Amino acid sequence: MNKKIISIFSLLLIFISITLAYSYHTYNTNEQQYNSPIQTITDDSISEEIDESFIEEDDEIEIGEMV
Amino acid sequence: MKKILNVLIMLMIFVSISSLAIADESEEENETEEEYETEDLEIDNDTKKEIEIMNYSLGAEIRLLQLQKAIIKNLLKGEMAAEVLKALDYNTTTLELILSEMKILLEDVKAVNASSNNSVQIFVELKYQAKNLTRQFRETIKDLLDGEKLNEIRERIKEMVSEEVQNYSKQIRNRIKQFNRNRLYQLYGLIGEANNSFINEYLNGNITLDQLKYHLCKTINHMNRERKYEIFSEIKKENIKKKINAQASINEMKNSEKGKGHGKGN
Repeated sequence: MNKKIISIFSLLLIFISITLAYSYHTYNTNEQQYNSPIQTITDDSISEEIDESFIEEDDEIEIGEMV
Repeated sequence: MKKILNVLIMLMIFVSISSLAIADESEEENETEEEYETEDLEIDNDTKKEIEIMNYSLGAEIRLLQLQKAIIKNLLKGEMAAEVLKALDYNTTTLELILSEMKILLEDVKAVNASSNNSVQIFVELKYQAKNLTRQFRETIKDLLDGEKLNEIRERIKEMVSEEVQNYSKQIRNRIKQFNRNRLYQLYGLIGEANNSFINEYLNGNITLDQLKYHLCKTINHMNRERKYEIFSEIKKENIKKKINAQASINEMKNSEKGKGHGKGN
């Protein structure tokens, strides 16, 4: 009788600890995603941002072909 | 035995509640994603990108000129195609009707004040109308002619040269250069190196925009880590600001559309 109760309680404990560990892990991952600063700036990322600052001289608006 | 049963029931309730909570959360996430997807379908990515610079009045002017140029180009092509069809004794009434609507639309675009607060909204609406009329013309002509004749007309239209369109191209190019010059002053201001000679060379056409961009990248890359990060963040901040403003305009448009929709319902 006692053994059964103990085993059920230990199962419950394992279940709760897994749930808690999972939620803690998810929370931490999200936190990291929002708070992590850009650690490395590559040449490409600089050039991408610079590209975005300007308009190409041959830039056009497309509204489709008539025929 | 009763105690064991109680514990088991509690465990089952706990498991079902937690699984329900998880399921509900993921469903909510899916719904939000779907909402964004549907919203994204309404304004295409090209238009989203185009309105990013419209927060500056020069940027708005550029986009409106570009739209005028696109409509004029299509008008000329449409008129040429209608002439060919007329000569071949086809009924061109519907095509001419679409072309006259396009002319009215062109006047509407010309009348837009680039500095007005709702220029983005008007631009999106007029561009949508222009695309719609173009599609109508294309579908009408497709119903009249077979593939071979359509290709013939396409070839003739391709060779079309218009002074009006060329003038527009020059005007747009000049405005874009002015826009880029303003951005260059801003960027060199951030870097703390007023490189007027480079900017003038660009304006005079002695160096290309790509060469200027390369020079800017090189200058930033030669800086120390902190300064590089500082400048990169400033440029990125400015670009993000443009995107936020564009998104705000889109949201405003959607809200006013919803408002109109509700109004109709009432």
